[in-house]
Amino acid sequence: MFEIKYGDDGAVLCRGRLDAAQCEKAQGFMDELEGENTLDFGDLEYISSAGLGILLKTQKRLAGSSAGLKIINVNNHIFDVFRYSGFHAIFDIKAKE
Amino acid sequence: MQREFPRHLNSLAGLYEFTEEIMKAHDLPDGVRFPVHLAMEELFVNMVHYNPTVTTHIEVGIDVADQVTVSLVDNGGVEFDVTTKRDVDIDAPLEERTPGGLGIHLIQNLVDSLEYQYKDGRGEVIFTKGSGKEDV
Repeated sequence: MFEIKYGDDGAVLCRGRLDAAQCEKAQGFMDELEGENTLDFGDLEYISSAGLGILLKTQKRLAGSSAGLKIINVNNHIFDVFRYSGFHAIFDIKAKE
Repeated sequence: MQREFPRHLNSLAGLYEFTEEIMKAHDLPDGVRFPVHLAMEELFVNMVHYNPTVTTHIEVGIDVADQVTVSLVDNGGVEFDVTTKRDVDIDAPLEERTPGGLGIHLIQNLVDSLEYQYKDGRGEVIFTKGSGKEDV
């Protein structure tokens, strides 16, 4: 199960498991983003390389207009995946406290 | 425990439930379950994507003892050695990065051992991950 929607504070809330079967849903939402955006991963349990591809594609598109994604509340397992992928250098990432 | 899954991304939910049920029954911690789920998904998705015309199911086995041992068997697929080191530049700047290619790189970093065998159209991947209980 994967859910993506806007929160009350304007951040994009991601919940559940972002695996390869959920990419179409995630990509459809991310394709609509413009400007600076915060992704709140507080309720995201899991992400695979398919999800990383969506983040990277979106970041590259937004970078064309000098904007980008900030990712907050990242759990330690997903943070490890970001670290192994070098994403900490191309995204603004904040771990869950 | 072994089970066969249809060669489709829609199988991922069932694959997760099958694996999670076994690992939770053995009280394995998140730090073990997460990388096992990730490696299993990446390998399964590779078998789906690289063999789009093959109709056989993918056989998945999992055994939990001192370590978690997972096997995925692909009958009728092309040879795809997941143990080969991939040329992934994780230090490349954003403008030089392209989506894709990270799955095998992640597996090789997150599991303890990774083996691949291919013979007569039968490909088998076996990986292990410590159960976190080795010293208990």
